[in-house]
Amino acid sequence: MNYSTSQFKNGLKLILDGNPCSIVNNEIVKPGKGQAFNRVKFKDLITGKTLEKTYKSGESLEGADVMELEMQYLYSDGEKWHFMEPESFEQYDLSEESMGSAIDYLVEQDICTVTLWNNNPITVVPPIQVILEVIDTDPGLKGDTAGTGGKPATLNTGVVVQVPLFVGIGDQVKVDTRTNEYSGRA
Amino acid sequence: MSKVKKNLVHYQDLIIKIREFFYSRKVTEVKTPSLLFSPTTDVYIDSIELKVNRDISMSTDLYLHTSPELEMKRLLSKGSGDIFQICQVYRDNEYGSNNFNEFTMLEFYRIDFDMHSLIDEITDLLKVLGKTDAITKISYAQAFSEYGNIDILDADLQDLKKIANSLGLNSDYDWVEDLQTLLFVHLIEPKINQIPVCFIYDYPKEQSALAKIEGPIAHRFELYLNGLEVANGYEEIQSADEYRDRFNNELYKREKISKKQPIVDEEFLRDMKMGLPRCSGVAIGIERLFSTISL
Repeated sequence: MNYSTSQFKNGLKLILDGNPCSIVNNEIVKPGKGQAFNRVKFKDLITGKTLEKTYKSGESLEGADVMELEMQYLYSDGEKWHFMEPESFEQYDLSEESMGSAIDYLVEQDICTVTLWNNNPITVVPPIQVILEVIDTDPGLKGDTAGTGGKPATLNTGVVVQVPLFVGIGDQVKVDTRTNEYSGRA
Repeated sequence: MSKVKKNLVHYQDLIIKIREFFYSRKVTEVKTPSLLFSPTTDVYIDSIELKVNRDISMSTDLYLHTSPELEMKRLLSKGSGDIFQICQVYRDNEYGSNNFNEFTMLEFYRIDFDMHSLIDEITDLLKVLGKTDAITKISYAQAFSEYGNIDILDADLQDLKKIANSLGLNSDYDWVEDLQTLLFVHLIEPKINQIPVCFIYDYPKEQSALAKIEGPIAHRFELYLNGLEVANGYEEIQSADEYRDRFNNELYKREKISKKQPIVDEEFLRDMKMGLPRCSGVAIGIERLFSTISL
């Protein structure tokens, strides 16, 4: 299905240079003496990059069959990361490349958002906040006020996050997956 | 005071300031007809058509003016001297957050002004209205070389198609001016939206509209406020022959893209035989301008 510029709106998914993209911003520009254009910002759903394009009004682009589904992360076999759609029990798998930074945050059973393009998973977004366990960090020394008061800690997914000095090995911590920041003890 | 009242008074204050500005400069306020016998010939502007007098068996097509330009020029050719007008104008096929089928226009003409003196006067007017930002003035070619690294006056249709393709844009345009505009909208506008008050002047001759041409450029300018087009002005062409040529060019383009062929306003051309005095004129979108002036 094709979409004309008059149907463009934020969130519409279209094929651009072969990749599925989502409209982030659509602005109609009609120069006083010129023809009308749509100046459009897209997010490439595979690479995550932002693209800016300008179309003459009336042009059309191919729609992208893109769906976002809540899925449960099951396990990884080292090559693929496996997910299940809890209503249909249908399973999907993603490569390490498609997983992107989600690898740093997902532990088994977590519910996350998987984007399907033509029924193939292309990206996964972890929950905004996840709870992970500290598996390695230096012991915080009492009275140590040097620096910013933080220290690096390695969590059970392998990701390293700055934590306050009082956090120790075995503690459960909350991490904001958008910023990779510690947001409290769980 | 209610919010509505506040806004109405704000609007009124600005209109009073505009009128006083022109009265003090001996510019006469005029009112020209908004119902015309001929639609505009502009290729990318469409008149709204009205059928009148059907019930008295005298059915006629009339057109709401898209700007008071031609009617004001008829006054100028008859010796009106400096004139200004604030009026509603109407355009078909307009849509978007900054476009509507009706808007308010301030249009004025100044005898013996060249383009740059008119830009200076608009600058004075902006100050009077409380817009005190620094003024940026840059030619169309400078804007392209600075913000796009493109020699726009030297680029032909094929060159511009290549540039559009390299930016991943559709280059399927028939005229060089359409590609110039595409690249302006795509590359330049997003850059000049950082500039509070920006005059762009000396447009390529292909975009002359009704402005005097000199070599590769036309003495036409536009005013952009934070990237939003607010005004369009020219040093005006003066003879009937020039006007006929420009109208015919628009008709030719309309035909090429299968748009309605308007009948040229012969009465206007008859008046132009007397010649238009040397002058410059500008149209300013009032809602867009006022939206940038805070209470």
